[in-house]
Amino acid sequence: MEQQATLNSIQKGVWDGSLPLQIRLAPSESRIYDQTDPYLIASPRISYLPSLLPRLRAFFSSFLINPDSHPHDGWFSFEGVPLKWHLPLGLLYDLYAGAEPASKAMNDPDDTDWDLDNPDSVLPWRLTVHFSDWPDEELVRLDADGMVMNDAFINSVKEADFLRNGTAKGIMSLSKEDSSGLWKSVQNVDLASFQRISNILLPPPNQPFRNIPIRIFLPLPPDSGSPALKVVQSPIPPFIPPSSMATSQLSLSRSSAAPQPQTMGTTLHSLLPNLFPSRRTPVLAKPVLHGAAVPMSAPIEEVVRCSAYGDGWLYVVIRMMG
Amino acid sequence: MACSPSLSDQIPLSTFPFLTLQEFECACRAFLNRIHVLGLEGVRWSSARFAQQATGPVLKISRSICKSSIRHYNILPGSVATAEPQVEICEDDPEALIRTPDPSVCLQIDYDIIWSPTYQTPVLYFLLRHSNHPGPLGIDEVYQYLVPDQYKRELQNVGVMGGISFGYHPQSGIPAFFVHPCNTADAMKQIANPQHITPELYLIMWIGIVGSRLSLHLPREIFEMDGLQKLEG
Repeated sequence: MEQQATLNSIQKGVWDGSLPLQIRLAPSESRIYDQTDPYLIASPRISYLPSLLPRLRAFFSSFLINPDSHPHDGWFSFEGVPLKWHLPLGLLYDLYAGAEPASKAMNDPDDTDWDLDNPDSVLPWRLTVHFSDWPDEELVRLDADGMVMNDAFINSVKEADFLRNGTAKGIMSLSKEDSSGLWKSVQNVDLASFQRISNILLPPPNQPFRNIPIRIFLPLPPDSGSPALKVVQSPIPPFIPPSSMATSQLSLSRSSAAPQPQTMGTTLHSLLPNLFPSRRTPVLAKPVLHGAAVPMSAPIEEVVRCSAYGDGWLYVVIRMMG
Repeated sequence: MACSPSLSDQIPLSTFPFLTLQEFECACRAFLNRIHVLGLEGVRWSSARFAQQATGPVLKISRSICKSSIRHYNILPGSVATAEPQVEICEDDPEALIRTPDPSVCLQIDYDIIWSPTYQTPVLYFLLRHSNHPGPLGIDEVYQYLVPDQYKRELQNVGVMGGISFGYHPQSGIPAFFVHPCNTADAMKQIANPQHITPELYLIMWIGIVGSRLSLHLPREIFEMDGLQKLEG
């Protein structure tokens, strides 16, 4: 019970997390070029960027050279890179902003750390919004009714559900109301509604997941050709299967039959042994989730139960050290 | 894992109704060998190749199709089986846009068959374009030109195979259509005999159920080739 309380408070922290954004209209679309005032907002880490489009379109409407564009024509870029809208804001920030992750060793991050007038400070995160010239080769187009976003979200939920249970019957048999309610709860950052519906999908606390929905994002050097990101995914069970225990030199512990829980460290070691030669200590790289360095010893099922994004996935960004 | 080109030497699937990554690779290589025996003209594809990319293996198939205008089609004596049903739906479908078709429309379809680490099955990604025109066509054209009549309703209503979405190609990151793979394993369980199925046979049956919904057809000759009589089993 105490453990459940801890998990709940971590989950609340994840859902409360937000990022200060400074959003400018693309100068080429503005009647006053780069003199347009930026839009400032604190946006939830678990939210998706297109949710900002209606108010951005309204805010910038009097400056737009092309007054006929719609909110759903809007897309975002950071330093010239179009941002994939189907990834949650917090993940995009962890991937592209280059911010040092928070860790236990650090003092509480001070809100005054960020500086509006200093373009070199990481925060607020400086994004550009465009309402024309949609990059068709890079981004899936949005629609006026938000169906494309809803579809992408539900497909992602389905994948997570399939990994957790070995079938996608859970999400498929969810009532229409709950299925759209799940998406609404994430859009509205409404944790109570989200928990009610996601508890229908999740295996109960005493029943382990079949596999952990986890994707590892590796930044690639710019000259390595497209895509700029490498995503690593493989079925990760919440307990280490006995066969790999035998090969892991832990021959003594084989006699004690209790299965070893999979940790962040054992997961990374099995997926990326070159980057994570040790299961216990980050040597060359560290895992970042919701802006924080994840302890290597954290049991992976507990991490996913409290810190998954709204679609049920753990999206872990690998940051090189040194 | 060594991949034997001969079907009879292939071992049964270890995780049926799923396919492991190694089995997927084997299946693609064996399947391509068979296609090369038939010749690309035999399958009416413009290219078929296997690529091992940094992000995983992919079986790439391209084909071009040219369709005459709707009116021409109805009077052409030779055009019986394949294209005609699609023409009729265009006229019956109340939601179809009213078009005046070009005298002939030439289309290029690029299919990428990749392996899903989530569903542990193949997944079909594809893009449709006008020949000599770079921009991809939309979902309306996919249903108009590629989805045969009998599958239209099922696909649109997220039926057994679960519909078509526009998402990101996992390897290139480029927006592309894909056929929802969440029911693939269940469908394979329905139609395949776990005792006799090999990686290549799995892939051929999978193309039979998923590919045929998107005009990726296998020629009849392939089923008459050595080793595939097991399909009857």
